[in-house]
Amino acid sequence: MFRRMASTIASASSAALTFDLVARCSTTRARASVLTLPHGPVQLPIFMPVATQASLKGLTPEQLEGTGCRLCLNNTYHLGLKPGQEILALVGGAHKLQGWNHNLLTDSGGFQMVSLLTLANITEEGVRFLSPHDGTPMLLTPEHSISLQNTIGSDIIMQLDDVLVTTSPDRKRMREAMERSIRWLDRCIAAHKNMDTQNLFCIIQGGLDTEMRKECCREMVARNTPGIAIGGLSGGEAKDDFCRVVRTCTELLPELKPRYVMGIGYPEDLVVSVALGADMFDCVWPTRTARFGSAITKYGVIKIKSSEYANDFGPIEEGCGCACCKEGEGGLGITRAFVHHNVAKETVAAHLLTIHNVWYQLNLMKEARDAIIADEYPAFLRQFFANIYPEKANYPKWAIDALRTVGVDLLSDNNI
Amino acid sequence: MVTPEPGGRDMFKILKGAVGDGVGARLGTLSLPRRRPVDTPNFIGVTARGAVPHLTPDNVGKRSDLGGVYIALEDFMETTRTKTSPPLLEMKSESVEPLHLFTATPSHMFTVLGARRHPAINSPLGNAKDSISIFTSTGFQKLTNQAYRQSVHAVRPDVVIPLADMTYSQSKTFTETKRRTNVTSSKRQLRMVERTEDWLAEFFEVPEDGSKKDPPSVFAPLLPVSYPTQWEYFNQLEQDFAAKLSGLAVYDVDVLPDLSNHGPLVSLPRLSLDYTATPQEILRQVQLGVDICTVSFLNSISDAGIALSFTFPPPSDSSTGIRPLGINMWSPEHEAAVKPLVEGCECYACTNHHRAFLHHLLNAKEMLGWTLLQVHNYQVLGDFFAGIRASLNADPPTFEKGCDEFTRVYDSELPTGTGTRPRARGYHFKSRGGDDKINRPAWEKYGSESDPALAGEMAGLAVTGAAAEGKETPLVPDADAAELDRQGFAEIAK
Repeated sequence: MFRRMASTIASASSAALTFDLVARCSTTRARASVLTLPHGPVQLPIFMPVATQASLKGLTPEQLEGTGCRLCLNNTYHLGLKPGQEILALVGGAHKLQGWNHNLLTDSGGFQMVSLLTLANITEEGVRFLSPHDGTPMLLTPEHSISLQNTIGSDIIMQLDDVLVTTSPDRKRMREAMERSIRWLDRCIAAHKNMDTQNLFCIIQGGLDTEMRKECCREMVARNTPGIAIGGLSGGEAKDDFCRVVRTCTELLPELKPRYVMGIGYPEDLVVSVALGADMFDCVWPTRTARFGSAITKYGVIKIKSSEYANDFGPIEEGCGCACCKEGEGGLGITRAFVHHNVAKETVAAHLLTIHNVWYQLNLMKEARDAIIADEYPAFLRQFFANIYPEKANYPKWAIDALRTVGVDLLSDNNI
Repeated sequence: MVTPEPGGRDMFKILKGAVGDGVGARLGTLSLPRRRPVDTPNFIGVTARGAVPHLTPDNVGKRSDLGGVYIALEDFMETTRTKTSPPLLEMKSESVEPLHLFTATPSHMFTVLGARRHPAINSPLGNAKDSISIFTSTGFQKLTNQAYRQSVHAVRPDVVIPLADMTYSQSKTFTETKRRTNVTSSKRQLRMVERTEDWLAEFFEVPEDGSKKDPPSVFAPLLPVSYPTQWEYFNQLEQDFAAKLSGLAVYDVDVLPDLSNHGPLVSLPRLSLDYTATPQEILRQVQLGVDICTVSFLNSISDAGIALSFTFPPPSDSSTGIRPLGINMWSPEHEAAVKPLVEGCECYACTNHHRAFLHHLLNAKEMLGWTLLQVHNYQVLGDFFAGIRASLNADPPTFEKGCDEFTRVYDSELPTGTGTRPRARGYHFKSRGGDDKINRPAWEKYGSESDPALAGEMAGLAVTGAAAEGKETPLVPDADAAELDRQGFAEIAK
């Protein structure tokens, strides 16, 4: 935000959000923009860390702010269970609960429900499940989800959708899920009470079927939500299929709305998805891998837990600007050896790696944004892959193929 | 800030001494070279593996007023087949002391190095003529006096406590065992004293290379045995080493009154490594003349989910009956309380968060709960000691009166938390056969034999080492259907 403001190409506003398009990559579909939400502006593309239960794994909100984060996730399913809607209402919403004065996004809660409760099944009314405590049949409807998210007060709320693993072979069920998600979107829109302070995003479904995705895009775009998510991915599908679906959707989506690909977090996935025209991402992987003792660096993920780092007195990543690694004023002088010493022993090691990894992810998106504004995104992509893979022969084929579809040849030598 | 570097005994100034024979509560300033001066009486943090539990170094530096930390060498000494030399000892650094650098201890704080953790786990092996038994994360190990000296030389702490021949009490409830040692045999007690004498003499021998610049300040251990048993050792300290000592490490404060027989030792700063189970015991230690405390209940009270709430002097209105020393944040009464843990507290937790969040974090087993409690509890202790100093500084001093009032106004024990604690690791305690688990398993996936961690991973949930055992992220609701319905989470299907 202290950088020179790039001038806006075009803008669009809805009741609780403004989208300013700042730059388009002249080669790929990457774009840079500013998304202004009720709790302040955020720069897109963006990675959003996941504070599942209103807390980012041991970091104070102040430390999270220090990583540059201005938009993070809470999970509706978890907040609905603890502390529950009644307490959230009494406290005054999730921002107030966790002392976070920046933006929040919540999911619908349906995904965890279906994945975690074995006996859950989906009907037109909603998600049916047996109360694990006493076996009573229960129902979670789109209206419940929106009501809960209205109480949470997150800046971006998500529709309840009929989620199915994309790899499901059942085309009939896939179509049913896609069409039901559209009907549920209508119910969510009708149930949404805080149009002026919370933005309801739709979620495009349709599995790996390009035609079904297109149909869903057309139907949902017509509902004119302030932002659009591409859902049902990151569920174990092949990377080629993932890229094809993202590309298919972004082609049909309006330019002046934020596009959120749910559940994406590996650095390679982020930079490729940005090239395919996506703006927002979230994933628990960076913070989870931190707790398991791994650090994300521009040369790849390193397992600091491994004994080779026991005597490594360098920073987690040379040249990194996070609070752990940066030198001089405000730097903590954390060494790999100290993190190794305490991984899986003292929680402090997890906190330190979490600070580093979140900073890395946010900074990666910031650098991507700067490259898009300078119209150097293809060169950025080449450098990014060259850093991770010393040999071009080892570049992932899916990334090479996906980037070719948007005019970048990772294997060529220009601009590097 | 450039301050003249005090050398030797000048680093401790007694600003207001005890009356009479010189043993009693006193006010002072401890100024170690290169570190921020610390007003005494005060306390230092106790680390685990070089870290104040749950606090990253930025929070230690910014969110606490700690002037120093106690670090145990045994926390760094584990060796494995592939790692035969502890990494801490491999760290070479000229400009910054390796111990500071390795642990990322903020530069204004001083480090106190001792051999054992505080409190320490007793070794079944016992100590030997030239070594003690230490407990590392890979098991018990021998530490010779020579190896200890070399380690101190390599890591350069600000303060070092030379090796003492100690046996620790196994009891986890410190209130029951006033003494830090359970050694009853007088023969063994005499041997403890003799060995400690010998080891101290060896410790002061000039190292072979003779190049020792900036040697650490030495705080000689006073043993947890009666004065008649160790008076000869005190004589030796007084006659042979008084000039080389910068302070005393007191393992049992009950020997302090007898220090008056050893004039040259009286002016040395006294660091207490005695147990403290309550703030009343801290007051008693200060009354006996302790300058720096290590508050052994502090880390564990945060783990128990207690927000400390006592002040010194205690609040004056006596109408409320006996006051508790802390607040159990697990209690459901806080679930919607949008107010600070303690009204008027200026810590980060109280000025930025509220009880409802703390309660939620504990209930959800989020690590931040323990972080915020540590920040708060360290502040309460800091304020407590500031109050003690102000009362000693008052004219006339009001400290004794404050102590009496404190005892009258406050409960005599800390509250016990009602919830689960963070995961204890092997180096935290030594379990014995038949012990119950500290925490009960929290979550299992409903109606399925499958792995909850795997289910969590598949759902994209945060799964940690703890959750890999199904402990961290709630996977299934623990409320019944009527409650979920009432909460608006879902409705009972018709």
